[in-house]
Amino acid sequence: MLRTLTAVLLWLLVSAASAQDAARTTDELKSLDQEVQALKKEVLDLNRELFVLEEELLFPANTQVAVFVSMDVGEFFALDSVTLKIDNKEVANYLYTEREAQALLKGAVHRVYVGNLKAGEHELIAIFTGKGPHARDYRRGATVKLEKGVGAKYVELKISDRAVRAQPEFIVKQWE
Amino acid sequence: MRYVLPLVLLLASGSGWSAPSDLVGQPAADFALRSLSHDNIRLSEQVGEVVLLNFWATWCGPCRQEMPLLEEIYQKYRRAGLVLLSVNIDEDAAQAAEMARTLGVSYPVLMDSRHEVAKAYQIGVMPVTVLIDRAGTIRYVSEGFKPGYESRYTDKLRELLNE
Repeated sequence: MLRTLTAVLLWLLVSAASAQDAARTTDELKSLDQEVQALKKEVLDLNRELFVLEEELLFPANTQVAVFVSMDVGEFFALDSVTLKIDNKEVANYLYTEREAQALLKGAVHRVYVGNLKAGEHELIAIFTGKGPHARDYRRGATVKLEKGVGAKYVELKISDRAVRAQPEFIVKQWE
Repeated sequence: MRYVLPLVLLLASGSGWSAPSDLVGQPAADFALRSLSHDNIRLSEQVGEVVLLNFWATWCGPCRQEMPLLEEIYQKYRRAGLVLLSVNIDEDAAQAAEMARTLGVSYPVLMDSRHEVAKAYQIGVMPVTVLIDRAGTIRYVSEGFKPGYESRYTDKLRELLNE
């Protein structure tokens, strides 16, 4: 009887000890998991800050110029490419895939160029090519006078057919 | 004279001369090129598939031997997720189209007449075959072509398709 009681008591003690160990292990794992998650968040935040810093260093606001392309076409128009020249020097030549052209049709905006310009007057020539209704080829251009001031300069080239139906043209918008 | 070759190699080792094989393990440089069928194809839109990039030119004899074999590989593995893109560096697209048609090529032929993509992949000799995994990393580069090389491509390809 005494031996049975001792065995039961021992068994209870061992169970309690192992339960405590299991609880400690679980707590340690939880704490480790939380540390890993916190570290991961710090790494992601740092990555984002480095990206912003890189952009600021490469393209400081006082010389930055960015050109965006968007579309507002009623009739079907498949954009094929956009070429940009600033002061007669080609700075961008972007080919649009079908997926990218569809995204633009759905309202996406594409930053086709970001660079540096000195303050003063500059000339931007933008040419786009594509296919309109009935597979008709389009090639249109626009010349834009850029007055670069001290702040970053943004130019939006919107391809639109609102003015003349089914005739896509550039509508240029500038802001700083 | 016997010192010339070692001197050249010594200079070359310090001169920064690089080869496409140096790109193994690097992310594949993204690009978009117009194909002979007038579609624009962007490499980064193929992420998730295994991509075989083949650089060639109409003046390249080994390319003529290699391309029909690439066509066989394409037909065999396209349903398994292989995307085969061939990049031609000639300035005359008509010549490239004629050669592709004569050789019975059905995979996309992209025109890199400005050699921008060829520069990005450090192409010096022809042909060059690059295998890119599903994550967009360059895993294998083969410069030149001799009969039998195609079995190396298929071995590596199977490995990447099974990943």
